[in-house]
Amino acid sequence: MKTSLDQARKILLRHEAILLFVLMLEWLWFNSVGRNFGSLDNSYDILRHSVEIGLLALAMTPVILTGGIDLSVGSLLGLCAVLFGKFWRDAGLPISLAAVATLGVGVVAGGLNAALITGLRLPPLIVTLGTYSLFRGLAEAITRGVDTFTNFPASFLHLGQERSLGLPTQVWIFLLTAVAVWLLVHRTTLGRSFRAIGFAPDGARYAGLPVERRLALAYVLAGFIAALAAIIYTARLGQAKADAGTGYELFAITAVVLGGTSIFGGTGSVHGTLLGVAAIAVLNNGLVHARQPREVAGMLTGLLLVAALAAGTLSQWWRNRPKPAPPTSPAEPEQKQLA
Amino acid sequence: MNRPFRELSVAAALLLVLAALAVFAPSFYQPQPLLSLLTREAPTLLVAGGMALVIITRQIDISVGSQFAVCSVAAGLLATRMPPALALAASVGLGAALGAVNGLLVAGLKLPSIVVTLATMVTWREALRWQQQGAFVNLPDGLQWFGLGQLPGQWTLIAVALAVFVALGLATRHLAAGRHLYAVGSDAEAARLAGLRPERVTFGVFVFLGALTGLAALLNVVQSPQVDPKSGTGLELKAIAAVVVGGVAISGGRGRLGGVFAGLLLLACIAPALTHLHVEAYWEKAIQGAIILLAVVADGVRSRKSGGQP
Repeated sequence: MKTSLDQARKILLRHEAILLFVLMLEWLWFNSVGRNFGSLDNSYDILRHSVEIGLLALAMTPVILTGGIDLSVGSLLGLCAVLFGKFWRDAGLPISLAAVATLGVGVVAGGLNAALITGLRLPPLIVTLGTYSLFRGLAEAITRGVDTFTNFPASFLHLGQERSLGLPTQVWIFLLTAVAVWLLVHRTTLGRSFRAIGFAPDGARYAGLPVERRLALAYVLAGFIAALAAIIYTARLGQAKADAGTGYELFAITAVVLGGTSIFGGTGSVHGTLLGVAAIAVLNNGLVHARQPREVAGMLTGLLLVAALAAGTLSQWWRNRPKPAPPTSPAEPEQKQLA
Repeated sequence: MNRPFRELSVAAALLLVLAALAVFAPSFYQPQPLLSLLTREAPTLLVAGGMALVIITRQIDISVGSQFAVCSVAAGLLATRMPPALALAASVGLGAALGAVNGLLVAGLKLPSIVVTLATMVTWREALRWQQQGAFVNLPDGLQWFGLGQLPGQWTLIAVALAVFVALGLATRHLAAGRHLYAVGSDAEAARLAGLRPERVTFGVFVFLGALTGLAALLNVVQSPQVDPKSGTGLELKAIAAVVVGGVAISGGRGRLGGVFAGLLLLACIAPALTHLHVEAYWEKAIQGAIILLAVVADGVRSRKSGGQP
């Protein structure tokens, strides 16, 4: 039997609760050191700048839940941005059709990852490392390294630079995607199967889950969302270049891991990822307002990722430590170890 | 399976490319450009050799490009303040130390190497950018080509890289320490039951790759009078591509250094081949990615046919 005190302690020590607390501390700290950090304009700015990385982190969450990884999302963002510009300017498609075609490219690119990973049972790490190079290389080849797409119509730039219904327009798309991914992961059998596969791929297969199809879904979804992020990125900056989204995969992975999703798969949550995205976005923006050089933010993101990973492993050791007196409660479920 | 089919097929592909170049672009075979190609690739050869050891142990390190840049800049800065030989040795030591950070996190805390090295890659690179602000480092006189003049310097570089690489190849075949890498990479638990300490092997292999990266940085630094703080960008992909194309299984425990050598040369021929065949150089990265994918697909198809696990 659990007392209400135990329950309260469990909720307070939840990963998400700690992260929320850290986020509040960050906010208070930057509010006291930074100029104009807490202003409404700056809050909109943080939101606007975190949408693309937030989308990639949302895309990465199901993939990491299955125990995989997708290093190609940042490169795919660049390729989709360039192709979007190409469809609109050189193929003469209207913006809406160009956007649909770009989303199609994202699905095809995600499908390529999925086919190689599930069809040939290749490790996601090396497949997406290959497509990381391939997608960025294609973007550079298409633009010959110099071509930039600009002069998009104002109606399109509204998506990335203006507000609708009180919030930056793209934030609505982000919220919609976040809700959809949350429902998928937490309220459907598909989402459950992602976690089952991440926890024990063979077990999931013996339990009758179509492991290949579920994995394919996660990677295709990641491609689709990366294409969506590319369109929003282009609308926010008003230009599409081959280097769009360079290094974004690191931020996305950091947000997911910081949000409490195990890098080995099996456990994690979408709301945790959202908090992770917020923590990184506030940190990056706050450091700029605290007049720190831009490089510090990148450095801290890397350190943060290592710290979050190490904290996860160390807390697991702490929980599984040999207890002095054997308690009568059933043992903690065995956590998944490094494969 | 003991016969090196995979390595021979890479070597055959390399010969094919060289033959195609001889027919369609004979200008490729001029001594001076060929020598500079080999000199340029000498540092990459060392990194690829170290990377092969890491991948055989079933780990990966994508932070080598950043380690390379940090070691290059450090060697340049130190060379102005102390005897050059000492500065160069310090570069190797610094590389080993950076590798030890990865090794500690991966072997000590059992964290996945891909994410750890992704984090250290960015951390080192940003720290370096913060410190240097993009400024080049001027080397003192007499350091370029080890003070030997260009032609002997180039040959020395190539000889050093080849000697270290051959030593690595022999060590992985004939030394106990080399065989331990394969044992840990095939099955860490079985290796532990056989009396090895997988954590120590893993830690050691990261330190070793770091030291080799430091040595590679040194071989790169002496090629020009200045050190570019952005040097080494994309080096990790080049090295991993050479290793994978050379037939080292990304799932660990399988592969030979000879294949890596052929793989590296094959990839190194692409850029000059593109220029000689009048294909635009912007395609290099895309082709590199396609070759990595092709190599892993070939391995995947083969292991499916033979019924084994990929």
